Amino acid sequence: MKTFLIPAAALVLCVASATAWATPGTVLRDEKLYSQPSASASVTANVSRGASVEILAKQGGWLRVKAGNSTGWIRLLSVRAGAGGLGGTGVGDVVGAATTRSDPTRVVAVAGLRGLNDEDLKRAQFNADELARLDAMKVTAVQARSFARQSGLVAVKVAELPKPQPEQSSSPWGNN
Amino acid sequence: MKIKSMLLAVTLVSFSSASAAFDLGKFLEDRVKQELNKDKQTQPAPAQTTPPPASQSAAASPPPPNQKIDARQLGFALFGDYSLEEEIRIGRQISGNLLGAVPLVRDDKLQNYVNLVGNWVALQSGRQDLTWHFGVLDTEAINAFAAPGGYIFVTKGLYRLLNNEAELAGVLGHEIAHVTQKHHLKVLKQSSLIGALGQAASRKAKGSDQVVQNLIGNGAEIMVRGLDKNAEHEADRIGMVYAARAGYDPWGLPSVLQDMAALPAGDNRTSLLYKTHPHPADRLAALGEAVDGRLDAVRGKELAERFYRIR
Repeated sequence: MKTFLIPAAALVLCVASATAWATPGTVLRDEKLYSQPSASASVTANVSRGASVEILAKQGGWLRVKAGNSTGWIRLLSVRAGAGGLGGTGVGDVVGAATTRSDPTRVVAVAGLRGLNDEDLKRAQFNADELARLDAMKVTAVQARSFARQSGLVAVKVAELPKPQPEQSSSPWGNN
Repeated sequence: MKIKSMLLAVTLVSFSSASAAFDLGKFLEDRVKQELNKDKQTQPAPAQTTPPPASQSAAASPPPPNQKIDARQLGFALFGDYSLEEEIRIGRQISGNLLGAVPLVRDDKLQNYVNLVGNWVALQSGRQDLTWHFGVLDTEAINAFAAPGGYIFVTKGLYRLLNNEAELAGVLGHEIAHVTQKHHLKVLKQSSLIGALGQAASRKAKGSDQVVQNLIGNGAEIMVRGLDKNAEHEADRIGMVYAARAGYDPWGLPSVLQDMAALPAGDNRTSLLYKTHPHPADRLAALGEAVDGRLDAVRGKELAERFYRIR
């Protein structure tokens, strides 16, 4: 147990400094909390879709969360960070901001240097000089492989992920 | 829109099967001319500055005086897959327009670093026929763009959210997937079939490819229209796998989505992003369904030390 505690403490420290966790979150699917960041660890609690959690730490594909009186590790993709609840599909101000035309001046105000809105993109004129600049920065496959090797990156075999079964539409381009 | 294109497709199929001697190409050409004429009645066509190509013979309806049809443009829009050369031409035009809206960050070390990471991830994608280009755009908006032919852009605002190289690899992997799956080319094909062809109103700029510009509409508008949400979910799944195949921790892209989900609602830096992408909460949920425990055994590198931090 002691051997586990030390790296875990170091990890929590490291993560806490890198990202601003200890944020609220919402459980996205019915899930289990595990005693360690592994699906083979013992289950400490079950949590339901929509439950609120407090995110305490992150390790790889796992988040350490507090849900009610229980604390444990949950899969990273089973929780969303932030205060928006289940978000996205329903109502809420985030969606409102996404679907209504925003005031471009406000974008610029936050952006400081320069914002980017749909009118900018529609009006955009071809810039050959910037494209030449982009061309000049291109690298070769040989350079990329050497760059990868420098930090021990090695290509590995990873299987494709299956397309989840659609709930209503079977068309890959449906519903929009 | 979908119904209209389906109707057209059904019409085309029934016509072509009814008579073997029927000239499908001619039919389509006339059909496009009709569309162009229809548009011409509602909005004045821009003056053509490019010399017209050899005009088509014996057209059933005479073309309008200043709106000539380039046969190759029809080939672009309506038949089969785009060739590699056409794909690259389209990508260059979209990229040049995007760069006209927002320039590259003037930091060669940053641009070089992103090109090295991007090319290494792209090497896992199976599209070695492309020369991949990566650029960081000088805007605090949080977004990333892909154009056909291997052109990938990340905004400075998004780059600032990243904590390590694995997260960058995940973001680039998502955009690389849009290219390998030809998502934007599919959108172009759909929109040209329903007659968006030849509506570009932009002036002729230096180095601009007018034929392609007519195909893609105004400026970099295609980047605003966005893709089907299923295309975004697919790019998330494939992008995560590309990053993992490159030896990175596969959780880079989901971590970035978490950071975006944690941003305050209505943050103006994300307004354009959320017009064209599903909300990060939806993307995390969809990715969770696909991934489940499948990547539990994958161990990759985060490389926080090597990550290039911008000032």
